[in-house]
Amino acid sequence: MLSWDELQKAKFTEANARERAFGLVDKGTFTEFVSPRDRMPSPHLPVLGEAIGYDDGVVTGIGLIGKRPVFVVSQEGRFIGGAVGEVHGAKMVQAIKLALKAYEDVKVKYPDSYEERLPAVVISFETGGVRLHESNAGLLAHAEVMDQFQDARGKIPIIAVIGSKIGCFGGMGFVGAATDVIIMSEQGRLGLTGPEVIEQEMGKDEFDASNKALVFRTTGGKHKYIMQDANFLVEDSVAGFYQQLQEVMKLPFAEIEKFRRIGSKKLVEEQLELVKLAVGLGAKDSMDVWKYYGNEDPAKLVDMGPDEFLKVAKRRERKLG
Amino acid sequence: MDYEQGMIGRGRDALEMIFDADSIKENLIDDIQIEAEIGPGAVVGTGLLDGEKATFIANDAQAINPRFNVVYFGVIGMEEAYKMALAVYSTIEADKDKPLEQKRPLVLIVDTPGNGPGKTEEIFGMNKATGSYQLALAEARKLGHPIIAMVIGRAISGAFLCHGLQADQILALDKTFGTMIHVMPLTSISRITKIDIERLEELSKDNPVFAAGVDFFHRLGGVEEIVKKVEDMKATIKKHIAEVREAKKAGQQEKLGPWGRGALGDERGGRVARKKVMEKMTEEYNAVADKYLNA
Repeated sequence: MLSWDELQKAKFTEANARERAFGLVDKGTFTEFVSPRDRMPSPHLPVLGEAIGYDDGVVTGIGLIGKRPVFVVSQEGRFIGGAVGEVHGAKMVQAIKLALKAYEDVKVKYPDSYEERLPAVVISFETGGVRLHESNAGLLAHAEVMDQFQDARGKIPIIAVIGSKIGCFGGMGFVGAATDVIIMSEQGRLGLTGPEVIEQEMGKDEFDASNKALVFRTTGGKHKYIMQDANFLVEDSVAGFYQQLQEVMKLPFAEIEKFRRIGSKKLVEEQLELVKLAVGLGAKDSMDVWKYYGNEDPAKLVDMGPDEFLKVAKRRERKLG
Repeated sequence: MDYEQGMIGRGRDALEMIFDADSIKENLIDDIQIEAEIGPGAVVGTGLLDGEKATFIANDAQAINPRFNVVYFGVIGMEEAYKMALAVYSTIEADKDKPLEQKRPLVLIVDTPGNGPGKTEEIFGMNKATGSYQLALAEARKLGHPIIAMVIGRAISGAFLCHGLQADQILALDKTFGTMIHVMPLTSISRITKIDIERLEELSKDNPVFAAGVDFFHRLGGVEEIVKKVEDMKATIKKHIAEVREAKKAGQQEKLGPWGRGALGDERGGRVARKKVMEKMTEEYNAVADKYLNA
């Protein structure tokens, strides 16, 4: 594995789940929980004659960013597309549960200064959602993650990091949307129904999954940034994400709450305005929406590097601030 | 009424069977009005269960959404999911000053084949819509509202996660009614996993982890009770509301909802790795916690 310093320079899209977990927290601070050495793979895959992974496709552990304990969940797309089965799901759920335990402990021990030690959860998504080989268990695990998210509301921040090849789709697409803060790179993709499934269900006229440009401008980081579905857009490097995490950790928790897109009646009403716009605009392509938000020449944004894009791109305005 | 055909596509009929005669008020939670125009695939409002007020949220498989062509036959689209979320938040609002034991129940009538797939849905973020409804349900559940999901027809994959799996307890009509709970049919699982359909069929006879069906979900702890007769739906829902209310009063929230179903899956032998993994993680965390909490 690359050293922490080398990792920072590496492309995020090329880093595996363990490298991302190490690189997203301060140098030398990551400790893995239920690592491959513990040998807790899926008990269900061998029955189907499938290869197992000793980490079941997810790296979980703890690190630090400054004084703050950061519970990391990092999914591995190279193992069954990062899909969530029983063990994978349990690791995810327990990481949040432990972060909440840490929150209670820190509050007791540092009643006057717990905010500077406030735990956080960082999830590096790379997944298509439920693992079909153990689909029922995967489904139930998704519901448990959402349940833990609600427990974490108003207590600790949950931060999504999306910049790996598979993106964040299926059931994990709404898990991603339910976090407090979303950091993406242009290469990251976030949605519910993946391109192949839309094409299969709705036909090639509705969606041509082989058209990569179409795929990226429909669910990619730039589009999500313009829509305010992603809060931050960073370059495709481990350092890009790590540094953005450091910035987010400096913000008071009240500010973090404002990054949310769903999770209250007010936010539902704001989203319903967006659904009305979808009807009113009759948008056939995400670029129609970019134009509506004031980007005169949306096609130009597609090939723009991240620095220039951040300077010129106009985003949806939020009334809630 | 001919029950032998099952209840698929009959969300509105189910409401009539479950709630007191003429008690159903659509799009109204006390005096809070929910926009009637949006999300025709979802029916929300207030009804009475032997005189007790409850919020209902059901799929209407007969409705089509003229604005979103993916919404038909019970599909939950963006408007539907947000409408369902509004019904939950409005219920929370209506009971905000009431003590825990007086929070009104929510009854979810489940018959949905999926969430809306489509380009428009992805551009505007279908994932937010379904996520939004789940967070609303989780909030209501934690505030004390008893939430019972009654699966009368299809409870498929992401749509079941959205509409059902955040409930305190899940009930399902017996499989003889054609009730379906699964992520994907075996034919699709076979195509995607490239495992022979014959082998999958053989294994699915007794493997609750991926096989389709109400009974398997029961073994995994995903379904609390199977209801054998349509006429029993009302009484069974009422029984579970009372049970849930008691558990919440006793501070036993961990026995309910997704977390409770985890414990039940362990008890029933369908999901036993989950607990071992969680315990191992806790043990390994405890060994290093001091270093991280006092950095």
